Amino acid sequence: MALRELNFEFKPENPKTLKDEWSHIGVVASGDLEVLIEKENALKGKVRIHILTTVVGFDDVWETVVKKFIDRSGLSGVKVDINDNAATPAVVIRRLQQAVDNGGGLQ
Amino acid sequence: MRINWEDLQSKSFYQATARERAYGIVDKDTFKEFLGPRDKMTSPHLMVLGEAVEFDDGITVGVGMIKKHPVFVVSQEGKFVGGALGEVNGAKMAYTMKLALKTYEKMKEKYGTVPDDRKPICIVSFDSGGVRLHEANAGLLMHSESMETIWELQNKVPYIALTGSTIGAYGAQGFVCLSADVVIANDFGRIGLTGPEVIQQEVGKDEFDASDRALIWRTMGARSKYILGDVDYLIKDTIGAFRDTIVNIVDQPMSKISKTRKVGSPQLVEENLEVVKLAAEKKINDSKDLWKIYGNTNVDEIPEMPQEKFLSVVKRRPRRI
Repeated sequence: MALRELNFEFKPENPKTLKDEWSHIGVVASGDLEVLIEKENALKGKVRIHILTTVVGFDDVWETVVKKFIDRSGLSGVKVDINDNAATPAVVIRRLQQAVDNGGGLQ
Repeated sequence: MRINWEDLQSKSFYQATARERAYGIVDKDTFKEFLGPRDKMTSPHLMVLGEAVEFDDGITVGVGMIKKHPVFVVSQEGKFVGGALGEVNGAKMAYTMKLALKTYEKMKEKYGTVPDDRKPICIVSFDSGGVRLHEANAGLLMHSESMETIWELQNKVPYIALTGSTIGAYGAQGFVCLSADVVIANDFGRIGLTGPEVIQQEVGKDEFDASDRALIWRTMGARSKYILGDVDYLIKDTIGAFRDTIVNIVDQPMSKISKTRKVGSPQLVEENLEVVKLAAEKKINDSKDLWKIYGNTNVDEIPEMPQEKFLSVVKRRPRRI
């Protein structure tokens, strides 16, 4: 079975953007994921998220988890790429936060 | 992306990711990665099989500086598909090694000679179980390309192998590791051809019990390999310790560096075969028996003692060449 591909676009209420041009964190180990955040000028106030995951049937969970993070942090003006190998929601939130921190935080 | 070089120096080599190892072993802020995560060169084979993919395909390659040496670094990530070599990460590895050779040849062409304090260096940090079975032929092809490059690097570019990460160097990567001029390991380093589970499957549990961790470590672990002469430097488990060891080696003339080579000439093959002959003659059942032959008395304590004590009392296999 091919990898499950998910695409989301969100518009946080209080948009902030990444300090650095890009940021990367994580290794696609079992139960883990990697996050790549890249600035994109065309996405002002918005965030585009692309997920490749081995797990099928959890699309709603993904959407809830990612939306929650975006709403809370206000991350926008970037595209986020996630490669996932069956990470739990807690790990996903943690890695997203680490990726933001690794990019110098939000401004 | 931010990586703090100072923090890396005291970080455990065993726990570090491939990228951290690559950034940490060269001089501060000199590492330039080739085909990093932003290039998104993932494996096309894993994608269709429904296996997780990674943007760097489980390997970090690039170039940095150590003093005046251009240093080509390959660093494998064991947590992603066991660090196994596929088409994309294999090509990244083989062609980074080829770049070291090309750099040497360019320098030679331009300046006539390559001075000892400026010669290119090739470093591979192993953390791999061999060839990725999902793309076996492509992986084997890249394995043979890197072996060919190692042959060409001989007596030109020092090739230094590091082992001490979660997986070690197994399968095809076991060959590549032991073809190095210098092998550096911490206590977690492991080098082998066939992994313990597979040996047990083939020869039976009575012969080799894969659940016996102590047996595995004293057969394939760095301490045993150090006694046998496969590992040349046994050091502490920090990235800084690996870096310091490399820094001390690189300025030496090539003839001195390649003294610790294990393969590459008929004489060396003969010398290695003597160990096999010895093991057959003396009916060696356990690594401890071999350690005893090379003059170690306290063989039961060797796996447990602190590293400093081990290094002060150990007796190693004498080398003739």
